[in-house]
Amino acid sequence: MNLEEYRTIFVVTSLTLTLVAAAPTLSIVVPFPRSGERFSELWVLGPNRMAENYPFNVRVDEEYQVFVGVGNHMGSSAYYLVYVKFRNQTQPFPDAQNSTPSPLPAICEFRGFVADGVTWETPIVFSILEVSRLEDSCLVRRMMINDVVFLVDSSSTWDSENNGFYYQLFFELWLYDVTSQSFQFHNRFVGIWLNVTSS
Amino acid sequence: MNRVMFLPACRSFLIFSLLFALALCVFPLEAYATNAEEAALAIERAEAIVFSCYQVVLEAESAGGDVSGLLARLNDAGVLLAQARVSYGIEDFDGAARSADLCYETGVEVRLEARGLRRLAMEEANQRFRWMMIGSIVGVTIILCASFVSWLTFKRYYYRRILGMKPEVVSSES
Repeated sequence: MNLEEYRTIFVVTSLTLTLVAAAPTLSIVVPFPRSGERFSELWVLGPNRMAENYPFNVRVDEEYQVFVGVGNHMGSSAYYLVYVKFRNQTQPFPDAQNSTPSPLPAICEFRGFVADGVTWETPIVFSILEVSRLEDSCLVRRMMINDVVFLVDSSSTWDSENNGFYYQLFFELWLYDVTSQSFQFHNRFVGIWLNVTSS
Repeated sequence: MNRVMFLPACRSFLIFSLLFALALCVFPLEAYATNAEEAALAIERAEAIVFSCYQVVLEAESAGGDVSGLLARLNDAGVLLAQARVSYGIEDFDGAARSADLCYETGVEVRLEARGLRRLAMEEANQRFRWMMIGSIVGVTIILCASFVSWLTFKRYYYRRILGMKPEVVSSES
């Protein structure tokens, strides 16, 4: 090797070491793009906090418990709003493709501030309080969720294929957006089917 | 004589009864409306403070502060706010106003703490940045000086080695 080649090696080594020494400061000054996908989780668990034994055949005045949870992977703390909604088989469900929530009014809501990488869970105890039934239709008038009574007034027709009056208790996840200073539908929803035939 | 005294008394009683009935009809409705309005205002105020708290907490977090404690307290405020909204929905305006007021009080405390934490976190971040920058400058200077000195030493050694070499005499057999 001649002297020119040695000089090149010296210059490259010096520059590399200089970059290593300046890296901590550069990492603050230069904004590097964050790696990884940002998302939130929403789940519903059965009474034993497992994905099993979900309430299905429900009776009037009997209490049932589920757990609704939210996981934050958004890269910073997030403010979540969970709307609890109730629908029959024909009423609209949220549209995942267009990111639109169900237009049905919420029965009640839960709010939670969740740090990044942390989960938040809340128990939901519900019971159906008043049901009117005619020949092939069923009307759920009132429901109780966590000891508060709500007017529901949702009617369902007899499902001859599955032999029952089916309803869905579902949960929509909304996220507070600091820029617009309002909650935005976060395109996450989950629900459980309920058969009120035996009530 | 008795009849003469009885008639005005009866009229007064009638007028009083009518006024009382009217008051019963009007005042409860008015009180109801005021309560609903007050509850809505209280909820709006509570929501505003919770949003404001959240923004301050986010700023403190991005400055590097540990906001886990504040988030736990904000959760309490969030529960109260949800309760207030649920109570309002079922027309329990007193309950709604009570929960909203409690939420507001919690929010005020959390915001105060969050501002303190944000200030502290920003000061710490500034100090950290300052030390990091000093460290980097010192490090880069040492590396550059050391490289330069090494290069000079190496160059001297290289020339000495080159100059120290003796040319070999090769015999030609032509």
